[in-house]
Order: sequence, then C-alpha cells, then structure tokens
Amino acid sequence: MGNGTEEDYNFVFKVVLIGESGVGKTNLLSRFTRNEFSHDSRTTIGVEFSTRTVMLGTAAVKAQIWDTAGLERYRAITSAYYRGAVGALLVFDLTKHHTYAVVERWLKELYDHAEATIVVMLVGNKSDLTQAREVPSDEARMFAENNGLLFLETSALDSTNVELAFETVLKEIFAKVSKQRQNSTRTNAITLGSAQAGQEPGPGEKRACCISL
Amino acid sequence: MVIIKNIIHVTFLYFRNLFSKRTKELKSVVHSAPGWKLFGKVPPRENLQKTSKIIQQEYEARTGRACKPPPQSSRRKNFEFEPLSTTALILEDRPSNLPAKSVEEALRHRQEYDEMVAEAKKREIKEAHKRKKIMKERFKQEENIANAMVIWINEILPNWEVMRSTRRVRELWWQGLPPSVRGKVWSLAVGNELNITPELYEIFLSRAKERCKSLSETSSENDTEGVSIADREASLELIKLDISRTFPSLYIFQKGGPYHDVLHSILGAYTCYRPDVGYVQGMSFIAAVLILNLEEADAFIAFANLLNKPCQLAFFRVDHSMMLKYFATFEVFFEENLSKLFLHFKSYSLTPDIYLIDWIFTLYSKSLPLDLACRVWDVFCRDGEEFLFRTGLGILRLYEDILLQMDFIHIAQFLTKLPEDITSEKLFSCIAAIQMQNSTKKWPQVFASVMKDIKEGDKNNSPTLKS
Repeated sequence: MGNGTEEDYNFVFKVVLIGESGVGKTNLLSRFTRNEFSHDSRTTIGVEFSTRTVMLGTAAVKAQIWDTAGLERYRAITSAYYRGAVGALLVFDLTKHHTYAVVERWLKELYDHAEATIVVMLVGNKSDLTQAREVPSDEARMFAENNGLLFLETSALDSTNVELAFETVLKEIFAKVSKQRQNSTRTNAITLGSAQAGQEPGPGEKRACCISL
Repeated sequence: MVIIKNIIHVTFLYFRNLFSKRTKELKSVVHSAPGWKLFGKVPPRENLQKTSKIIQQEYEARTGRACKPPPQSSRRKNFEFEPLSTTALILEDRPSNLPAKSVEEALRHRQEYDEMVAEAKKREIKEAHKRKKIMKERFKQEENIANAMVIWINEILPNWEVMRSTRRVRELWWQGLPPSVRGKVWSLAVGNELNITPELYEIFLSRAKERCKSLSETSSENDTEGVSIADREASLELIKLDISRTFPSLYIFQKGGPYHDVLHSILGAYTCYRPDVGYVQGMSFIAAVLILNLEEADAFIAFANLLNKPCQLAFFRVDHSMMLKYFATFEVFFEENLSKLFLHFKSYSLTPDIYLIDWIFTLYSKSLPLDLACRVWDVFCRDGEEFLFRTGLGILRLYEDILLQMDFIHIAQFLTKLPEDITSEKLFSCIAAIQMQNSTKKWPQVFASVMKDIKEGDKNNSPTLKS
C-alpha cells in the first residue's frame, strides 16, 4: 500500500460494509482488496479501512471501503460513518438466520444516516457452507427485490462472487453518477455528490464519493 | 459447521498437494532439457551442477585454499561463502562453440571472485558483531529485569502504599514492569474499590453457567421474558464468537486452547455481575491480557475494577456524549503537542474517533504488539486514563512525518492498522516527549473545562460523532 500520491483515479466512491458481528465483513473486504482470507481474523472495533481501484470502462474508480464493527451497541458510533457513503454492502451470514432477520433494522439505520440515493446490495455470505444454510436464496432475493436492493450470495472463503459483488455496486454507483453529471451540466444539480456534510475534502482532494478529476 | 469447514479445508489441501506434485513433475521435465543450444548443435550437458562443483574444487586446489567441501546438508548455510552457481559462472570456461577466455580475462574473473568472497566474509563478520551486540543488549536487558524484579519483590511490594508514588518507583515503573510482578502490580494499582472476592466471582461464574445451560435447554419455551432472553442469548453468542477472534495468532484463547474456558468464564461472569454494562466488543481483549498475567479470580477482580474507571465505563457503556468529551480533551493536547499534524488532520476532517475508538476500547492490546501493549498498560496503571491518550499522541508523534504526507484514507488505514515493527524504545521516547500540560492546565482540568463548555451549549466538537 502506498501513501496517497501514487494512484491515478477519476472517481472515489465511499462504500460501507455493514451487518451483524461475525458474518464475514472483514474477510469479504480482505478478499476483495488483497485476495486474502483468514480463518482467525480479529474482531473489528470501531472501523477499519481499505481501498482498491478498479477500471470501469475507461474510468478508474477508487473504492474507499469502510469496514464497520457489527456490534449492536456500537451502532451509535458507527452510524456516523455512513455519512457520505454512496454504496453499501449489507452482509448477513446465510448459515445464521438471526443475522438475516435483522437486515431490515440495518437498512433503516442506513437510510437514516446515509444519502437516499445510496446503492445498497444485500449480500448473503458463506455460500461455501452449503450444508449449513439457514436462509433460502429465494427468500433473500425476494426481500432484496421488494426493497430495491441488489442481491448476491458470496463466499469470502472460496472467492465466489466477491469481486462481482463489489464491482456490481461500483458500476451501479458509476452509472448513477454519470447520469447525474449529464443532468448537472444542464441543471447544475448534484445530489449524490453532496453527501459530505461535515467532511469536506481538502483543497484539490479527491476524497470521499464522487469528485471527478 | 466446523466439521464441514474442516472437510472443505482438507479437500482443498488435498487438491493443492496434487497440484503441486504436478508442477514439480513439470519442472523436472523442464530441467532435463538439453543445455546450451543457442548456436548450432551442441551435445546436451548432463551434469551442469557437478561440473561447476568440480571447477570450483579445481580452483581451490590451484589457489591452495583447499577448503573442505561442505557436506551436502549444510550447503545452503554456506551459500554466501561458496556460491557454487556464481563460481561456476565466473570460473567456468565458455561453451565450446564460443571463443575461449583469454588469460587476462580468466585472471580478472578470478580476482573478482576473490574480492566477492572477501566482501562476503567481511559482511559476515560485521553481522556477527551486530548479533553479538544485540545479544549483549538482551543480556543487559535481562539483567535489568532481574535486578528490577528483586527490587520490586523485596522493597516495593512489601511497602506498596508508602513507595508507590515515590520518584524512584515511578521511574522504575516507567521502564516497564518485570513480567513476574506485572500482574501483581497491575492488581494493586487498579485496586478493588468494588470489593470483589474470589468467592463472589465463583457465585457469578456459576450463575453465568446456569444461565448458559438454561438458555440452551429452554430456549423457546420461556416466553415470559422473551426479549431479554433473546438479548442475553445474543450476548452469550457474541462472547463465544469473539473469544475465537481474540489474539487469534496466539492460539491460546481459541476453542481447545488452554485459556479458552477461562476467557469464557470471566466474560460470562462479568455480564452477570454487571448486566447494566453487559458484554461489549473489545472486552475480550482486555480480559485476555489480564488472564495472561493473573490467576483467574484475580483477573476477574482486576477486569471488573478496571472497567469501572470513569473512562472505561464511558466507553463500554458507549456513552456518546462522554466519549465526545474525551475526544475533545484529547484534541486540546493534540493541538498543543503536534500542531502541524493537528491542522493536517483537520484539513481532512479526520476526527480522533476514527482511530481512538479501537485504541481506547482495547487499551492498545489489539493495535500494538502484545509486549508493547503490556508496557503501555504498566504506565496506564501508574498514571490513569490520561496515559491512554498520551500514548495515542506518542503514536502520532512517532509517525508524524509519514502521516503528514498522507491523505485521509491513507491516514485512516495507517492508524487503524499500525506497523508491526513498532518498538518500545521508539514509542516510549515519543510518549515521553508529549507534554500533558496545556499552559497551566493538566489533563483533569482540561477535561473538566471541556465538560463545562459542552454543558454550556458549545457542541461544536468532533462533527463526525454528532448524530
């Protein structure tokens, strides 16, 4: 990992990883950004960060991913981290029904603190544990459809769909941003990009969400 | 589930083995391919390795430095001295289809080779010196620890109340507590305001075990307490989940590890003892560090008392407004000590909660190497909460130059995952350089004035945390 000056990118998208404790958020992130998986990763306390730049067509998009702690009690703190996020992966463990049962609560939390235009994907993780599945695919997909969420099942352990999940979210954000830019040249209105109350980027900086070069 | 995971793991290994065998075979095939064949027809060389060795031996015989041919097994070790492949390259004659080396060239190659060997020897000697020096330092350190241990056991501990705040003891304390008395000193310093006895611990422990049992037996029958049971169950689940994620690299708190049950007991007993606080992530790290230094009951007593300190209580109750006050106080000293970095962070709206939450919740045991974290705990026990924030400033000072070059995301990434090679000497000299005195005010006074300010309605601190 370098220190800030090395990369070339056109967009920065802030994406948050949320969901109950132990569903595999940190491993999804390490699989996506470093292609690593750890059977014994440590509890996340507060928030951790990672980035990866992907090419979407000709545009280099840097995903700035905030990996938050899943503990209920921490929500008061971590919800502040949703501010300015343009994408979210709401993760549950498809082998533990209770992590799926609370998805709605997480969603409310997210919409309370993030922009209404945020792109959200519901992610059922641990798809490698086929024998232990407690949440049927169709049920989760239905829920996602009814709530206007993207949906994928992933396995951070065997890499299934991890790349696809993040890229789909980034593409969706990118499409929204592109559309908005087209509009904004005419109407001068920006909504997705104005989500940074209290966290203004530094001079000339490309920090947090979608500031084009 | 664990079994399934294991099976998957095993099959994965199996396939990987197959695969690596395959590649090995492939490699050996490649190896037996004919040698130099760049120009025209040259018969394949059969024993490239052997030839180079013979050449080297011949060379050594000629120069009269017949060193013993190293035994096969230790060849790797001597690689630096007798680099066979290099020797071969330098001393070997050219392939027969190329013009032979001239005498001068051969001489020059030999000379160069000699220089390289001499250089390598020099380097080796230098490294040996360095190793010796490190060993000497380590001996010295061990001697210091042994000496300190004698002083702690014979002089300080018997006269604890009188001596604890003397200058000499405070200085010795700063140097780091000898591991053999560490737990004892922590216990004494943390105290036992709550008057918990080992018997009381046993009571709460058995209550926790009962609860655990009854939950697993009558999980769905007991409807009268529905929600609270579900909550408690979730908390017990969470403890289970977190135990295996506490110092995973040590392999002692994981299932089947020697301290798995002890950690479970202490956390379980605590949720029974303090249902108002319950289990909060981060606690498992604190309990684990205590278990590493104290007997079970003593560890529980220290744990409960430690979490009862105002700062810890504020954090573990996730008392938002109190946490903001701690962050605001921290920022006063941050600005005072590291004004340039402070402004740099400000320009990115990088608020202290982003890195301090992890540091304070786990008392640095997750973010610093364990031995270093213990040294931080030593002085935390001596100086109280302000030392936690001073340590934070010490870390920022240590990495100030790098941090000044970074942007928001890199700073956030860096501080939430500190370099692993951080040494106690460097960190402690940086901590020592941090002044915890703002003009005439010290930490408690600054904290008190922050409390007052915020009460009076000035709530413009730490915008990130405002909800």
